[in-house]
Amino acid sequence: MKNSDDTIRKQVKRAWPNEGNTGQSSFADAWQAAQRRHATSRRHYSKFAGVAALAAAIVIALNLQSPDEESTIELADLLGSTYWSAPSDILLPDREFDIYQDMPVLFESTEPAGGALL
Amino acid sequence: MRDSDALDNNPLVSRSALEAIHSQAFGWALSRCDFDHAIAEDLMQQAYVELLSGNARFDNKSSLKTFVFSVVQNLARSRFRRISSRLRLVKQYHRESVNDVAETVEPVDDGVWRAVRALPARQRDIIELMFCRDLTIEQAAVVMGVSTGTGRVHYDRAKKALRSRLLDSAERS
Repeated sequence: MKNSDDTIRKQVKRAWPNEGNTGQSSFADAWQAAQRRHATSRRHYSKFAGVAALAAAIVIALNLQSPDEESTIELADLLGSTYWSAPSDILLPDREFDIYQDMPVLFESTEPAGGALL
Repeated sequence: MRDSDALDNNPLVSRSALEAIHSQAFGWALSRCDFDHAIAEDLMQQAYVELLSGNARFDNKSSLKTFVFSVVQNLARSRFRRISSRLRLVKQYHRESVNDVAETVEPVDDGVWRAVRALPARQRDIIELMFCRDLTIEQAAVVMGVSTGTGRVHYDRAKKALRSRLLDSAERS
């Protein structure tokens, strides 16, 4: 016998375990519990928001109290100092010229240097 | 028009409307969690919290029943996704001890019920939504989060599978 859609529908509906098999659920209880949970989460959220706002206010207040100090170099300090350091090694020449070693060689040389005889 | 018992964060939802569909929605929640009453209760409470807080906002695009069913479905999915990922982790270390946790509860021992339980999850869902929760195929597809065409395919396959299984069991008996 071929089962029609309607017969299958009725059979499935009858066989399906309804809420009564596992105990009824009360809407009022579920609703009250949900309202409690909602109120609790709102309380937690407002507490968190309050703490975050307080922390932000403290940070802003501390920043306002200590403004950024300007960092300038006094001219007198600069002139009075004999110390100087190169800003970077890149600016230093690759080859160091030794005046006592290299100059005599240069004077006695007959080789052209830079296209000209020394 | 706003009902007198409409929710603050969900003006198109009223407490009385939710009460009217509670038993149906609870039945849907029950089947989402293998007929565990406590988990189904928790799912319903969570669904109501989502509606109260306005996280799940009803905008009248579908019926309220379809909307609440979708909320329950999504909550169940995310809950069991979390649980299954934890179970997978635990299973890696304690393979034997977890096997009995995954067993399903069969509330009714019946030939038809066994045939329904043997269906793939999507087919079982659409059969439940259409036969037991009285939704249309379009509404059922919305609840399941699939297109109407896909819903139709699941429905047709489920009916064919059920019909052949019921015929088999009738011939055997």
